[in-house]
Amino acid sequence: MSDYICHDFKTPRNDTSRRLPDTFKAVPLFFFLSLVGSAYFMTMDWMAYKHAQKTKIEAEARKTELDEAAKKLTDEKAVLDTETAKAESLAKWMEGARNVQPIATAIARAMPPEVRLSDLNLERSEQVPSNLSLSLRINGGSAAEVSLIETGLSRLQYRSFSPQQNKNEEVIEYRSTLVRQEQ
Amino acid sequence: MLLDEIKSVLTFAAFKPESDDSNVAWAKRFEGRKSLLINVSRSQTSWRSFNKKGRFDESGVMEGEFADIAPQRADEWRQMAEGGWCCVSINNRFIVSLENNMMRGDNVTDLLRTNPRAVLGPKYDRGKRYAMCHHPDTTASMLLACEESMVKSTEDVLKNIGLRTGRVCCGLFALMEHAVTELYVKQRLSTPTNSALVAACEGSIAVLVQQDGQWKELRCRSGMGQDAVETSLQIITPLVQKLPQGSPVHFISDGQDLKFRSEIMAHLEKISAVDMTQDDLLWRVIGLH
Repeated sequence: MSDYICHDFKTPRNDTSRRLPDTFKAVPLFFFLSLVGSAYFMTMDWMAYKHAQKTKIEAEARKTELDEAAKKLTDEKAVLDTETAKAESLAKWMEGARNVQPIATAIARAMPPEVRLSDLNLERSEQVPSNLSLSLRINGGSAAEVSLIETGLSRLQYRSFSPQQNKNEEVIEYRSTLVRQEQ
Repeated sequence: MLLDEIKSVLTFAAFKPESDDSNVAWAKRFEGRKSLLINVSRSQTSWRSFNKKGRFDESGVMEGEFADIAPQRADEWRQMAEGGWCCVSINNRFIVSLENNMMRGDNVTDLLRTNPRAVLGPKYDRGKRYAMCHHPDTTASMLLACEESMVKSTEDVLKNIGLRTGRVCCGLFALMEHAVTELYVKQRLSTPTNSALVAACEGSIAVLVQQDGQWKELRCRSGMGQDAVETSLQIITPLVQKLPQGSPVHFISDGQDLKFRSEIMAHLEKISAVDMTQDDLLWRVIGLH
């Protein structure tokens, strides 16, 4: 079929309006493009919002998990701190007992092999920490061993103050306060 | 109203041609819409509808005056026509004549519709509606003159039953336009200088004779009725006899009335006439172009 247009002799209308030019097709096109664009961005935003919500829930769960782990670590640290404090106390005690050790050694060396030292107490004075309260028990010994002890202590620059000596059968109880002599 | 205008812009309807825009082919005006084609003859009316896909759908024929048939078929027709738009072929009370040195140009078709006196000059008759078809190589033109009262009464009848006329044309002249385009425009260089064209459309007949490359004679008769084979032959025979022997004769008809077509072709085949008719040709011509 060819492309001519068939004749027409109808009564013309007076109320016809001019058709819009083709360039105006950009208006509905732009409108529909805007709709599509808006729909696209709204969908993307909605998906991003949902993803963010999911991430937030995951992060909160992770935070809770980490908080629990941190609390556990804090508890462990507190236990360790307690242990450390105890160890430090022990170390301090050891450090504090360092000056008593030569005294104990000197007393032990002063004892002859046939005499037994059954009990030995060395206590620091609470009022005067440099003074030491000495109490000991000697089995099978005599006053000679006591003097040997005093001699040994005097070599360490300690002087016996108000010594008390009791003999009960084979056991000799000796009490004294050791005072450090300044050079 | 404003909402309708916005809707028409957003649906691109505002950019589509008006349903009664004569400068646009019918098929393009009703793309994706149903439309109705009606052929009004003297004693019968036939119709055919296009569906939304642009294919032929329902059809029908009814004997009688158009003014009596239309109210009876109004509901059926309204369902076939989207928006009530229909194309009407008036096949009665018209005459086709040969004219020379008629005005030609791009705007002549519109001018002939709005101000026919400017185109036709003294040939203009106040009570007629006109259409023209030009010979592509000579100054000759076929001029269709249809009774204005017939056009107006047909439009009024359709208006009264709620239909709107998107086009009013003449089926016989439309078939001749089609044949001229096929024979004289498309095959311009190979057109024989002597030939005859016989067109028939539901009881109307026209014979156009070309001699020495010029349209020499045209005879037309409308409203003969369906069984007017003898009358048609009386019109055709003297004109064809004027042509040199062996000159091609082409026959074109509406493609609906097989009885008339076979009877007339039985005579025309004796002079080796070529039948250009296709099924539903009238509806194709007025419903696609």
